[in-house]
Amino acid sequence: MDKPFFELKGISKYFAKVIANKDVSFSVNRGEVLALLGENGAGKSTCMKILYGLYGADEGEIYKNGEQIIIKSPKDAMKHKISMIQQHFSLVSAHTVTENIILGNIKGKINWAYEEQKIQDLANKYELKVDAQKKIKDLTVGEQQKVEILKALYLEANLLIMDEPTAVLTPQEIDNLMKFVKDYSKQGNAVIFITHKLKEVMSVANRIIVMRSGMVYGNVKKDKTDEYQLSKMMIEGSFEQIERDDSLNYSDEICLSIKNMSLKSKSGIPVINDVSFDIHKGEIFGVAGVSGNGQLELCMSICGAMKPDEGFVLLNDVDITNYSIKERIALGLGYVPSDRHRYGMVMSMTLAENILLKTSYSKYWKKHGLIDRKKLNDKTNKILTNFNVKAPGPASLAQELSGGNQQKVIVGREVENCGDFIIFDQPTRGLDLGAINNVHSSILNEKENEKAVMLVSTELSEIFALCDRVAIFYKGEIQGIYKTSDLDSEKIGLLMAGYKKQGDK
Amino acid sequence: MDKKTRDILITSFLAVIMGLFLSGIMILFLGKNPISVFALLFSSMFRDGYTIGEIFVKATPLIFTSLAFAFTFKASLFNIGAQGQFYIGALTAASISLLIPHPIAIVLAIIFSFLFSGIWGGLIGFFKSRFKANEFLISMMSTYVALNFMNYLLRTVLIESKGEYPQTDSLAKSTWLFKIVPHTRLHFGFILAIVVAILIWLLLYRTTLGFRIRAVGQNQEAARMSGVNPELVFIFAFFVSGGLAGLAGVTEVNGVQHMLLQGFNPSIGAIGIGIAILANANPIGIIFASILFGALQVGGTIMGQISGVPSSIIDLMEGFVMVFVIISYFVRNKLEVNREKKLLLEGDK
Amino acid sequence: MLVNLLSRAIMMSTPLLFGAISEVFSERTGMMVTAIEGIFLMGAWAGFTTAYISGSLAMGLLFASFAGLLVAMLYAYLCVTLKQHQIVTGTAINILVAGLCAFLHRVVFGVPLSPLTVEPLQKIALPLLSKIPFLGPIFFNQNILTYIMYILVPLGFFIMYKTSLGLVVRSTGENPEAVDVSGINVSKVRFVTVMVSGLMCGVAGAFYSIGYLGMFTTNIIGGRGWIAFAICFLGNWNPIGAFIGTIIFGLAEAFAILMQSGASTFLPNELFIALPYILTIVLTISRKSFNVPAKLGTAYIKEN
Repeated sequence: MDKPFFELKGISKYFAKVIANKDVSFSVNRGEVLALLGENGAGKSTCMKILYGLYGADEGEIYKNGEQIIIKSPKDAMKHKISMIQQHFSLVSAHTVTENIILGNIKGKINWAYEEQKIQDLANKYELKVDAQKKIKDLTVGEQQKVEILKALYLEANLLIMDEPTAVLTPQEIDNLMKFVKDYSKQGNAVIFITHKLKEVMSVANRIIVMRSGMVYGNVKKDKTDEYQLSKMMIEGSFEQIERDDSLNYSDEICLSIKNMSLKSKSGIPVINDVSFDIHKGEIFGVAGVSGNGQLELCMSICGAMKPDEGFVLLNDVDITNYSIKERIALGLGYVPSDRHRYGMVMSMTLAENILLKTSYSKYWKKHGLIDRKKLNDKTNKILTNFNVKAPGPASLAQELSGGNQQKVIVGREVENCGDFIIFDQPTRGLDLGAINNVHSSILNEKENEKAVMLVSTELSEIFALCDRVAIFYKGEIQGIYKTSDLDSEKIGLLMAGYKKQGDK
Repeated sequence: MDKKTRDILITSFLAVIMGLFLSGIMILFLGKNPISVFALLFSSMFRDGYTIGEIFVKATPLIFTSLAFAFTFKASLFNIGAQGQFYIGALTAASISLLIPHPIAIVLAIIFSFLFSGIWGGLIGFFKSRFKANEFLISMMSTYVALNFMNYLLRTVLIESKGEYPQTDSLAKSTWLFKIVPHTRLHFGFILAIVVAILIWLLLYRTTLGFRIRAVGQNQEAARMSGVNPELVFIFAFFVSGGLAGLAGVTEVNGVQHMLLQGFNPSIGAIGIGIAILANANPIGIIFASILFGALQVGGTIMGQISGVPSSIIDLMEGFVMVFVIISYFVRNKLEVNREKKLLLEGDK
Repeated sequence: MLVNLLSRAIMMSTPLLFGAISEVFSERTGMMVTAIEGIFLMGAWAGFTTAYISGSLAMGLLFASFAGLLVAMLYAYLCVTLKQHQIVTGTAINILVAGLCAFLHRVVFGVPLSPLTVEPLQKIALPLLSKIPFLGPIFFNQNILTYIMYILVPLGFFIMYKTSLGLVVRSTGENPEAVDVSGINVSKVRFVTVMVSGLMCGVAGAFYSIGYLGMFTTNIIGGRGWIAFAICFLGNWNPIGAFIGTIIFGLAEAFAILMQSGASTFLPNELFIALPYILTIVLTISRKSFNVPAKLGTAYIKEN
């Protein structure tokens, strides 16, 4: 039996607030497709970044073909023919495909025509449809990923590491990627791909490493396991399945109404195209679809951060299309944003200040012109208790909390502030299961309180568990609005990929 | 006292010590004994009541210019034009006092200096809001424009009756800021500076308006999503900042010089930046740091007269202290990270 | 005379171009050299002092660039290695250098009775070329630094867009992570680029003291380091753009000097002195910086 191609032994990595990897050991063989499976925060990316030299391990060694190697930087990794494609692509969007690929691989004077031709030939050879002269920012996400792959091929990599490669792809693009992975490994190369999606693992991997809380919990061959066993290995502790009362219906009263909304991007491409729907009081309305199909812009338009080119937004029959963000907040429009670091919280401020953030204009907080700190601290404590937030107190900084707790604070704030309508945009992305449960409970609670809820999510399980009706977004248009009970994952998958009617793929 | 505050005080103290140490080495180049020079420096600061009063006289305008930088800094904006805003304030104060030789001029001077230098500064905020212009560059350039404007006026419209030098006549005694300690030059301006510093602190940390300014400074996008209008905040922050620097014009013209001439207080803007950095942009800390720098200036001038060590050693000292304060930010951060790592590893066992 | 004005303009452009092109390269890697005014001043002082003591202008220029390098290395250490705030650090260093130059001048020269001078750089008339009617006296009767400037512009353009070095520099400011992942040390790129800035800006500063005025005063630079800094912005982070911007400012400065020394018109002197600065403000407002390096001003932090 050959020695394994690459091996990690006893890798540990400590960051300031968390143990990212503890005694991680596994190997990958030539011609093998290895899946690194685990939920968010399990430590998968960390150990691969160590293998690629982006991080330095605090303990442990790396071996190639049985001999120890030192990898201190990506340069070393590249010398050993390792290539890594990160989740957020490492591409310079203002530069062309060629400029990106030859970066770091060329010295001295550059003959642009010659290099472009070389890249184009390489792309054609591997049937990757990419134009070597195009700028990255003008490419689709799927094409950008192809550029990343092309870079690895240009470097003649033998081990390709891919971090959550399918997160932003349509089902068709996912199929293409899987085909490439199979072909590439058949040539004797190895692939490690990091994912939290069980389906993909079962379709393309030869072997699976399951990680949890920074440690390896399972190392199985694909044919010796199934999805159920894998998910058991992934999940920590037991969790209650949320009981969903299907008999609960929603009222006929319409709370939010979107009429013929359209929005074009700066380059004239329609980002939202003639979108209309209504959300009733007591309804959880899902917006499903691969991210990047206009969902973010929809949320932004509803809460007032973007102005649609056409169409109307009505809240309780009031036309709020031209209202400012401030006015909409005052009307009780709640929004839990998808990017809490960027839009949801000021991480360097205290929890109390973050609670104040949304309603700083309200007279409620003022006492003789100054902030009534007692009132604010009381309110903050109330939210911390009611929403199960693990935090020292209102004076602790937001950045000191874990991601799940931060999200709970935001959910608590929005729920407490909102009047009749609240948007949850990818509210459980990146959270551990306990936090996910908490957020789901809060969402269902709002439904019980007769609020209108819009839930934007890319996780189909979440959509099915919580939503009464769901609209599927594709390229800025609604493919259809259905009762969730009338859909199954195959149907919804087709709709997400742009197929309006049932049929073969 | 929690660890973070303790860290800040210790590292700031060490930064000052290191700054003094390096300056001491530079003094060796002069062939003089640093220890005796420093001893002379510190003793001369406190040699009599008049000199002690001078410390606070020097600190007064510094409090205003550092508040000016700190205020915009809280909004993540950079007002490098405090020196120019000071000139505009000084011009306004002098003009009003020359026109109205009566105590009411003082009140008017305070109001209008704040207003006009505020507008001068607010323009920068406006350009940033409206045109997304780089406020760092514009504020920098605005000082040179203001300087030349002032020089021009001093040479022409405001020139003294004799017409000999580019400076104004002396201001009428009724427009002088009254002294608060007899036999010194210490005037009401110092009280004004303390009061304003406290008001700014209240504004920033105890009002919703100040909260919004800080929120914009720390996460502009989150603030915008919460209904705040960052563009208005920019304009307001620069207006207040400019106004604060302008108040230094009142204190120096009506409180110290009792006239306006070219080339006075040429670096209070730059030193104000240094003080704000040392005090971590905290208005209360700024009061103390300004007094410290004021003391250094007074001591340095005397030392220069007596010992032959040039007073520019003080500028050098201030510069070294600032550089070490920056290094101390790094050290503090590292300490914090290591502390947390240790806790983590211990918890794991 | 027009020829006189234009010749002056080219001359006054020289230090601005040295500063602006070096700033273009630094900012393309994401580093704003906010210590630029201080580096100019340090170069001016070091250049003058060395030239005065040694009697050699060449030595002066050499030590000026070396002094500029030292200041730049301090800046780079604080901002690249320690990843501190670029504007705060630059301001601190500018204050430090101002104090240092005043102090060192005292240390070395004491308080001279009359201002110390050196003979500034002589103009060298290039054979044949300087005889070309109209253009000759303007472009080809300049000092050595200006002739170097003529080479710097095309050289800068070539390096930036036609070499791997330029590609790395441009990529670093846009997406340092992409550069890191490609196996290049981001800190090294930034540190070295800032060091080169230091060398060039040191020479630029010395231009004022030993290339033009022939003496040193503590406010000899008077904000012109900042103008070079501004030209980088206005020139869109491009060597050619920097050249054009430099010429405009050189013209403004030459014009101002001419107006001041000539018969006083109905426009006040101070307006002409302030002209370059006003121009900077107007251009900064009207020019939309559409080519800002994406990560300009931010430190590259990898591990959490």
